[in-house]
Amino acid sequence: MKADVPAVAMGDIAFNLLIFFVILARAQDDSHVKWQPASAAKLERTSNSKVSVAISNENKLYLNGQELGQAQLANRVSELLGDSPSGERTVLFKVHKDATAMYYEPVIESISEAGGELLHVLNQDTSVAK
Amino acid sequence: MRARRESKLLVEPAAVATGDIAFNLIVFFLVCASTQPDSGRKQELPNSEKTKTVQKDLKNIELSLSRTNTVVSLNGDPIKTSELPVRLKRVLDEKQSPEERIVVVKSKGDVPYEHWINVTSMVQDVGGSITIQREEEQTVIVQ
Repeated sequence: MKADVPAVAMGDIAFNLLIFFVILARAQDDSHVKWQPASAAKLERTSNSKVSVAISNENKLYLNGQELGQAQLANRVSELLGDSPSGERTVLFKVHKDATAMYYEPVIESISEAGGELLHVLNQDTSVAK
Repeated sequence: MRARRESKLLVEPAAVATGDIAFNLIVFFLVCASTQPDSGRKQELPNSEKTKTVQKDLKNIELSLSRTNTVVSLNGDPIKTSELPVRLKRVLDEKQSPEERIVVVKSKGDVPYEHWINVTSMVQDVGGSITIQREEEQTVIVQ
């Protein structure tokens, strides 16, 4: 006797595998960080970046979605950027609009120290653009 | 004739295809979500070492920010934030070299990011380059 796996199950297997990998990938990004971008005019589209630094509405610091301390930031960013040439060292900087200077200024300094090219992620201010 | 019509109406897609359709729909939305671009502003900050050297030789333009987003201080003079681009452009027009066009931004610890990015964007738009000067941290030991 030969028991075949029904062909209809293939779709379900693929579907479940996909869900599994999507959840796995989501654990590495920073979409879970709660922040509200500030608005500004004359924005440009961001290119793909290996590094994303975020400051949440609770003033917590995240590097690629993982919470870390300010003291570790410069070294970690430097490691992630490695020997990448200029133009490929973009660091996406996502700061909650109400975060204060005592939180974001040391972070900017650390990114600069690590040789990152800072790109502030912002919302297009339509009132100014018009 | 009647029998032929009925057989046409009963044609259904194979049930095996629904899984594939769901799979392709998910891939489509996943790709759409992952390629959604962010928009932002680039900011070039000179290295802190360079800035220190410049500060010794030249008198930099100083811009002080406080929590009040309507007023900033340009070289010690309080001005309205809306007037900053015009006033700063006048100052920058007198400067020749890129080193002279560095604007030292001093912020109080409670300056909100939205105000800071608004002001620094103005500086960049009129041709200034930004450097940050943070308040010195002091450790006071109480005996």
